[in-house]
Parts: sequence; C-alpha cells; structure tokens
Amino acid sequence: MADLTVEKLGVRLGDNEILRGVSMTVPRGKVVAFLGPSGSGKTTLLRAVAGLEKPHSGAIKIGDRALYDAARGIDLPAEERGLGLVFQSYALWPHRTVFDNVAYGLKLRGVTGGERKKRVEAALAQIGLSHLAARYPHQLSGGQQQRVALARALVYEPPVILLDEPLSNLDAKLREEARAWLRQLIVSLNLSALCVTHDQIEAMAIADRIVLLNGGVVEQEGTPTELYSAPRTLFAAEFMGSNNRLAGASAGAGQLRIGDAVLEGAARGEIAPGAAAIGVIRLERVRVADAAGPNRIKMELKTQMYLGERFELVFALDKMLVRAYAEREISPGAHYVEFPKEALWIFPQG
Amino acid sequence: MPYAVIRFSVLAVMAVAVLAPLSLVGYQSFLSAPFFDSMARFTLDAYRFVLAESDFWTAFGTTLIVAAGMTAIALPLGALLAFLMVRTDLPGRAWLEPLILIPLFVSAVVLAFGYVVALGPVGIISTHVKAVIGFLPWNIYSLTSLVVIAGLAHVPHVYLYTAAALRGLASDMEEAARVAGAGPWRVAFNVSLPMVMPSMLFAGVLVFFLGFELFGLPLVLGDPQGLLVLTTYLYKLTNKLGVPSYQLMAVVVVTIVAVTAPLVYMQRALLKQAQRYVSVRGKGLKQAPLPLGAWRYVALAGILLWFAITVIVPIAGITLRSFVVSWGEGVKLMEVLTLDHYRELFDYPNIIRGILNTLGIGVIGGAIAVVCYTAIALSIHRWQSGWTRVVDYLAMAPRAMPGLVAGLAMLWVFLFFKPLSPLKATLFSVWLAYTIVWLAYGMRLISGTLLQVGPELEESARTIGASALRTQLDVTVPLIRYGFIASWLLIFLIFVREYSTGVYLLGPGTEVIGSLLVSLWGTGAIDLVSALSVVNVLMIAFGLAVALRLGVRLHG
Repeated sequence: MADLTVEKLGVRLGDNEILRGVSMTVPRGKVVAFLGPSGSGKTTLLRAVAGLEKPHSGAIKIGDRALYDAARGIDLPAEERGLGLVFQSYALWPHRTVFDNVAYGLKLRGVTGGERKKRVEAALAQIGLSHLAARYPHQLSGGQQQRVALARALVYEPPVILLDEPLSNLDAKLREEARAWLRQLIVSLNLSALCVTHDQIEAMAIADRIVLLNGGVVEQEGTPTELYSAPRTLFAAEFMGSNNRLAGASAGAGQLRIGDAVLEGAARGEIAPGAAAIGVIRLERVRVADAAGPNRIKMELKTQMYLGERFELVFALDKMLVRAYAEREISPGAHYVEFPKEALWIFPQG
Repeated sequence: MPYAVIRFSVLAVMAVAVLAPLSLVGYQSFLSAPFFDSMARFTLDAYRFVLAESDFWTAFGTTLIVAAGMTAIALPLGALLAFLMVRTDLPGRAWLEPLILIPLFVSAVVLAFGYVVALGPVGIISTHVKAVIGFLPWNIYSLTSLVVIAGLAHVPHVYLYTAAALRGLASDMEEAARVAGAGPWRVAFNVSLPMVMPSMLFAGVLVFFLGFELFGLPLVLGDPQGLLVLTTYLYKLTNKLGVPSYQLMAVVVVTIVAVTAPLVYMQRALLKQAQRYVSVRGKGLKQAPLPLGAWRYVALAGILLWFAITVIVPIAGITLRSFVVSWGEGVKLMEVLTLDHYRELFDYPNIIRGILNTLGIGVIGGAIAVVCYTAIALSIHRWQSGWTRVVDYLAMAPRAMPGLVAGLAMLWVFLFFKPLSPLKATLFSVWLAYTIVWLAYGMRLISGTLLQVGPELEESARTIGASALRTQLDVTVPLIRYGFIASWLLIFLIFVREYSTGVYLLGPGTEVIGSLLVSLWGTGAIDLVSALSVVNVLMIAFGLAVALRLGVRLHG
C-alpha cells in the first residue's frame, strides 16, 4: 500500500468549475475526511478519485502509479483503479444475495472456488453479518446494508477505500454507533480511507486528518484538533462548531473594538488599525462572569433556553447578539460576558 | 478498447439499416426509371409528373382533412377521458384503464372490415336499423365516417399522454390554488389544464401525424367511393400504370416524408417542453378525486358508448360475419350459421403459412427485435457524448415513414443490394422492416427501463473492477429482466397487429396475417377475411391477456 496523492486537480461540469486545483494526500493507514458545505466539490473530488468524474487538469496517484495525469494523458477507467468505493445509497445489487454482492469483486479478479468463498466469509465475519450471506439486500436493515456495502468494497483489499457520506442514510441513534464501529474497523484493519461528509462531528470522529473544502479549493487541511482549535481562515473558523460572530474594528494587533469596549484576542491575518474586523468565538468558550474585568462586556440577558444537558443563553448589547452556554439557569438582567483572550480569533473582514 | 468497437459496430449497423431505405427512396425519386433499369438517368420528371397530377393533390387535400378532422375529435375526447379517469370519482376506473387502451392494439384493417360488415349498406346492424326506421341514417363509405372512426380510434393516444401529465402534476401546486381560495373545478381549469397543455399539444401533433400514416381505414372505407389519401394513392399507383412506376412511387413517398419528418421532430421538441412541467417530487399526497355526483354515471355511459362504437361494434361485427354463410336483408341468423370459413382457411397453404409466420414474427421476431433495441439502447446508455443525439435522431427517422412506405423502401433495398436479394423472399425481410419501423417505439420502451437502473448500481460495479461491457452484462441487463419481458410482449402485440408494412413485401414465404388481409380484401374474399381477422384478434387478445396478467403497463 502507498499514499494516495491528488495534485492540483481541476474538474469542470459543463461551464461550472467544480474543483479549482485541489491538492491533498491520504497517507498510508490514515483516514482522511473531505468536509465542506454542499457545493464545495467534496463529492466530485471523491468521484474523480474513483474515476467516475473526468477531471481536466492535475493528477491522481497511488504511490508512483498514476491513476490520472493530465500532463501525461493518463486516465484509467474506474475498473482499472482498483479502489473500493462505498456509495451513499450503498448501491447493493438487488438481484444478488449478500454473498454474491461481496463475491463479485473477487470473481472479477479471477479468485475462484474455495478461496473466494473463504475470503467472502472472512469479510462478512469482519462486519458481523456471516449469518445473512444468503439474504437479498431488500431483506436487510439500513445499517446491515451499509456494512455489506463496506464488505463489498473491502474484500479485494484495495489500497484505499472511498466512503461517500457513509453514515448519512442511517437514523440518528444508529449513526453514532456506526461511527464508532466504522472507525474501529478501519483502524483495526489498518486501511487507508477517504471519506466525504458534510457533518463535522462525523469527520472529526472518524478521520485522522480533515480536508476542508470551500468553493472547489482546499480551505484548510489538518488534524481535527487543528481545524477545530486553530482555524486559519474566517470560513474555517465559522464552518466548524457553533460560533459567535462579533463585528467590530481593529484597535491594533490582536485587538477588536466593539462600541466602547476593546477586546484582546488572537490575531488571524494582517489588519490595519481602524479597519473592519470580525471576532469569532465558539459558544462553549464564552463565560458569564459576575463582575467587570478584562475582556468582559456588560450585556443584557435576552433569552434562556433549556437544552437538556445545559442552558443556552442569548445576550444582547444594542444590535449585537452573543450566545453562550451555562450549566444552570441564571438570573434575568445584565451580566458580564467574558471572551477569553486565547479563544477569541480576530479576522480581517472578508 | 473493445467496448468502443462493439458500440460503434452496433450503431453503424443501425445507421445503415435506417438510412439505406430512406436514401434509396430519395435516390429513386430523381431517376427516370426503376433503379435496376440500365436506362435510368437523373431527372426531375417524376416530380413534374406527380405534382401535376390532380389526383395527387386531391389525395393530399383529403389526407389533410382526415388528419385535422380526427385530431379535432380525438383531442378533446381524449383529454376529457384523461381528466375523468385521473381526477374524478368515476366508477370502475380500475377496469376501464386497460379497456381504454385496447384500440391501440387492434389492427386498423380489422376494425375497418368490422365497420363494413356491421355498419355497411347491408351490414349486420344496418339491416336491423333499416328494418326499424326504414332508412339508414349513415353512410360508412364517406369522408365523414372515415374521419369520425379514425378520430374515435385515436382517443387512447391523447388519453395516454394527457393522463400521464395529469398524474405527474405536483399536487402541491393544485393544493396551493385550493388554499388560495379556488374551487376544485376552478383549479382544474386554471391550474391543471394549463399545466397539461404542452402534453395535449404533443398528443395533438402525434394524432395529426398518425393521420398521415392511416392506411387500413381509408383503403377499406374510402376507396370504394374513390376517396384517396396519400398512402392509398401510393398503393393504387402501383397498379395504375401497368409498368412498375418506381420513380413516381418514390416521389409520393418523398412528399409524405416531407410532411411527416418535420412532425416527428416537432413531437420531439414538444415532448421535451411537456416534460418540463412534469414534476418528479409531486408523488406525495394523492388529492381526493373530484365528486361528479349523478354525472358520474353519465360519464361512465359515455365512455362505454365510445368503447362500444370503437371496439365492440367492429369486432363483434367481424366475428359474427365469420360464422355466417352470407349476410343481407331478410337473412335469419340461425339459418346461416357455419364454421366453414374457418375450415376454408386450411385449404389455402399461404394462409396457413401466414398464420404461422405471424406467430413466428411476433414471438421469435419480437424477441430478436427486443435484443436489437437493447443492444442499441445499451450502447448509448450513460454515454456522455454528442453522438447520443445523432443516435437519437437516427432512431426517430424511420418513424417518419408510414408502415406501407417503409415496407416499399425495404423491398427496394432488397432488390438494390444484390447480396441481400435472396433474403427478399424470406420472412427476414418482413422482420427487418417491422424492426426498423418500430425502432423508435422499441428504443423508448428499452430506454425507459434502463432509466430505472440507478447509476450508482453500475458505478459500483465499475469501481469494483468490472469493465463497461461486463457491468452491462452483470448488472444492467439482469436488473432490467422484467422490462425485457414487458417490451417483448408489447412488441409481440405490435408485430402481430402490423399490416401495412408487409403489404409490399407480400409473396410466397413472406405472408403475414396483416398483409394477407389487405390482399384478400382486394379480391373480395370476405368470408376468408372475416375468419382470418378473428384469428388475428384472438392472437392479440391472448397477448393482451398475458400482458395484463403479468401487470405489464400497456403503454411502455
């Protein structure tokens, strides 16, 4: 097995530039997630890697083997790339049993008789569905179908397995279980995987690295921790987590002026003093303090909502709204809201 | 890449099969004599001759009147029928649906014979009517009868497209109108009707176009009065001058195609337009049917009356006629009953061959045709290339040739390409002509089935390592098995019903029931014609019964 690399890949659908030069790597044995809003090109990127979309520039390689290389005129059809792809809809063939669905990839590779049976049974055992081998797909639950789709893509041991929104067709409860199961399976089999998702929690849970896509370019790439706690751009900061957006002006390096108050924060990018700036802070980092102090603003409590495990609070000052969490109910009226310096990122405005 | 080779070979064969007859007709129309005549040279004489003929222009005018007249009858009736069936609480909608579609599958010559024996001057019904009221209030051999019968027989075409459009309408659009304050009838006229207009327009053009293809009805009902349409004019031209006047026939064919070809392409454009209104997501709630009150029985009676006139009267007429020695005024039914006509069928080896050939061409030929259509449809399936458009247009081209014309063109192809000539006297020639004439229809059946295969089912096979061809054999084809059976049945019905395409190809060995009927009718052998018609109707009834039993949608 070797690394999967994508270099400056461009994909056009009609007149639409879907991908504008995307580069990324899936290191051996790692799980990489493509994350992004709808229309960011993440599914197109996955399909281009699989050979189902035709790029017009760039290259896709596994180790030294080019799957696609615009410069050298190489474009292997999907069936010659040897990858495994799990479809969002699972795409199990309704006219074949579970066993035959899984066995097909081996049959195409000339694996016959006892060997084929052994390997299919091993794959089904891995996903815990040995007892359902004779069933047809429509006789399985959604979760079982998803596992079969995975076994079908794994059985011929592809160097990289591609997952298109693998959990989105499962209901909410099942999804959390399946997430843990999927991560565990991928890690225990030491697979390289590429996973497309629009769900950041899913991406962070499953992946070793996240590639955040926006408008057909890579916005930021890194570990889940890096993406969540050290976003480099305003888009990355706002895409991950739940955030407050504080519109103000720069009052010098790492300083944000909002009305009369000046908040200290972590500067992200160059901003001329006085120029418009945006402060972003995650909801869970906003604190409610009981007295005035640095980086605190006095705000009126507008709304208080009970969410089960905690309360969500909405504070207001003039037109600015700030949301925060609290362990327990707080009294109505004015409170001091603290924006810890290390948690407040200050970005230049768009 | 072998797949590309297979694909292009399939498409090349199709292109040749479609273009050869058309080009040959065009070529012949510019010659001074039949193409096999060594004296033939290029000239416009044939055009000059035909275009100067007043009979030609009369036939042209009659065709226009018939086409326009039948459209004017079929369009409102078909639309009304669709509305009643889809949107109201009309009783018996479930069993009416297949009934309404039956006229689509009955041979037009059989219907025409049926009208003559039932409603003709000494017809079975006519004699009774005359006995009661003293005179006959209709004349079956007239332009009016022809237009009315053709109009009624084409109601199902309009019904099909309008009903499909009505069913495809997003119910939320109508519900929005209801909520905004419009009553149900108002919604029908202000929202539903305008939204199905494009589909009705399409159906209207289709029926008008089919008016140019009519052959059986005008041959039987119009000809005795000297009433000719273009197809019957062409048919008569064969015998008119004594010598084979191929160049004149070619000119008539060219003029027919010059009218029908634009109509075919217009239909394509209109269908696209119509589909724009069809909403895929509108499958949610079925709106409650509009209550018709006591009118529901009036509506039902109206539909049954239409069915009686269009199907029961002619079929019952021809069936009854096949069991009597003769018919005329004062004949007592019980005295003339006989089975002799059926026994007589067996005295004619060509009729026996015709029956067997018809079965063979329906069952075996139908299956082979479906395989051919599938090969073509698969070779453009999910192919992202401008060529698919070309294939699309090619597949539609034969549609512009009425069956009679296609049969003639096919005959010429077999005469022109010497290596093919030995095949002319075999059933292969008829099969090929049928397959080409119904190419567009068959392609639509198969591509409709192919569309139901989710692309990811094929893509997953590709990513797992199956080549394009392999994917089609292992995934696509098995998934559309049911669609094959359905298409096969429908093609069987169409091939068994077909009559005009075989007319020019008729000869020893190539007899089929349809062309035999036309030729026997010309000799006045009404006994044989009625018995053979019943045999044809029974074959179709059997096919229809199987199709309904299997739950095949009769309209592909």
